Amino acid sequence: MLTKTLLILLALIALAVPIAASLGWLGLILQFTDSPMPLHRAISDMAWQTSTDFLLVAIPMFVMMGEILLRAGITERMYDGIVKWLGWLPGGLMHSNIGSSALFAATSGSSVATAATIGTVAVPQIEKRGYNEPLFLGTVAAGGTLGILIPPSINLILYGLLTNTSVPELYLAGFLPGFLLAALFMATVVIACMIKPEWGGAQLRHTWAERLRALPALIPPLGIFLVVVGSIYAGLATPTEAAALGVVASMVLAALNRKLTIDMMRQAIEGTMRTTAMIMLIIIAAVFLNFVLSIIGLTQALTDFVTGLGWTPMQTMLMIVAVLILIGCFMETLSMLLTMAPLITPIVVALGFDPVWFGILLMVLLETALITPPIGINLYVVQSIRKAGAIMDVIKGALPFVITMFVMLALLLIFPQMALWLPSLVY
Amino acid sequence: MIDALLGGTRRLGLWLTWLGGTLIVLSAFLVTLEVFLRKVFNVSIGGADEISGYAFGVATALAFSYALFERAHIRVDALIGVLPQWLRPFLNLFGHVLLIGFAFVVVWMVWGMVADTLEFGSRSITPMRVPLAIPQIPWLLGWIFFVFTGMLIAIAAIVKYFQRDEAGVQDLIGVKSLDEQIQDETV
Repeated sequence: MLTKTLLILLALIALAVPIAASLGWLGLILQFTDSPMPLHRAISDMAWQTSTDFLLVAIPMFVMMGEILLRAGITERMYDGIVKWLGWLPGGLMHSNIGSSALFAATSGSSVATAATIGTVAVPQIEKRGYNEPLFLGTVAAGGTLGILIPPSINLILYGLLTNTSVPELYLAGFLPGFLLAALFMATVVIACMIKPEWGGAQLRHTWAERLRALPALIPPLGIFLVVVGSIYAGLATPTEAAALGVVASMVLAALNRKLTIDMMRQAIEGTMRTTAMIMLIIIAAVFLNFVLSIIGLTQALTDFVTGLGWTPMQTMLMIVAVLILIGCFMETLSMLLTMAPLITPIVVALGFDPVWFGILLMVLLETALITPPIGINLYVVQSIRKAGAIMDVIKGALPFVITMFVMLALLLIFPQMALWLPSLVY
Repeated sequence: MIDALLGGTRRLGLWLTWLGGTLIVLSAFLVTLEVFLRKVFNVSIGGADEISGYAFGVATALAFSYALFERAHIRVDALIGVLPQWLRPFLNLFGHVLLIGFAFVVVWMVWGMVADTLEFGSRSITPMRVPLAIPQIPWLLGWIFFVFTGMLIAIAAIVKYFQRDEAGVQDLIGVKSLDEQIQDETV
């Protein structure tokens, strides 16, 4: 049953069948072969409950917040502002790439949008200031991955939905690791530029007066971040309510910048609904597939199989991490999250690990998947912005950051408190 | 003829998407108001969560047709990229038909559910006791329009294939290129 399921899933995905259809049909096929009951009749109820779930209302709202902020004209000034604050570090602008990606990704949530937007602003600077091109491109590709972990992350909402884990708790847990990973990326740049100072480009110097003048450009994105994440952490709002506040706040911000027009909102709505429709169709199919998998006992069989191997929990966890890194090389992140989370989380919990902690670990694995060849979308986004040269430059440049992510994974495995300490203060 | 039909369907899908997106924006204001009143004045208008849930469901269903025209559905094209060129239209059509087929199964089941809702006059089990037909009928219509769009696109793609209009087939059911994707997600 296990082998059959995996083979059907792999075949459908490899034949480029849309992920939603792959998951849905896998569910339908399995119910006909392995279930005595007509499980497909439950689709209508599941589709309705999922489609109107208040928790998931956060998805279109967070996407819309990002779409509006993207058009509110704050990115370029934010980038310049961060340059003034971080430019003195060895590696100069590369730190701004990471810093502004972290900030942008936190409010946008789309890694493609982050890498493309920051990349467009940053890439022209490579020649102007004489940076090592691969490493510079690597910072843009790696920086774009940060949004998956730093709250408010849509991926964490999906993980919470599929594994019955509290989303506010996941948001608290993601906070420290998310920013620690950004800091580790910066440390990677510093170390690289200490070994090879010529990689770091021309030294940048800014006075404190310049830095203070740059502050107003940083307030809008930081303000939105504080409104959204702060209201959740302070217990003032649920994630969905915070997302609604974020939509309203970003519209106010756009209005202050004189960018709030009917035409702009129309574009923001189109982008939002395109993404929402795509995600929701996959979620409905995934929820149905999970239901089928648990009814026919496959989830349990998989858990029994893995726990029956007689490995220690840590050995099993290392194996899971290794398999997920491998899968991440070939699979796109959203599909990877929606197929793997419901299958693997029960195993992890049966082994005695915390599902909140595993959610955070999984997010770092998804981030890794975005910059591991051959299928790492951020690599290609950066290459496409650059329009010249070989893709190998980007892959080479992203490699140090893949290693940094492995360090992050190791840290999470050795010190689970990194993720669990903040939630433990509240829950 | 088929191009006119495609054009009309696409425009209708776009209008429905704007309508749905507007519902989401209005929900955002409603929920914000609710949070504000609750925290500042300690009063609750109540039901903002339920109403925005319905708005979300309806908005998503109304956008399915548009998302299909936009080829927004994620596909893993690692293998399809290395297969011979002549095979691609078939795999594209195969993936498209499976997507619409799954949507058809959903519509088929949902049809029965909505019929029950109408027959029994079902209401939500919340203080608002909303007659469920109100949100469920536009939701079902969105799904039906999605399946209709999908069948139309499939027919149009087959017609274009026999007219040797490769670009036309690609525009309807091909995997979106990275450049198109980046264009979508940036300004």
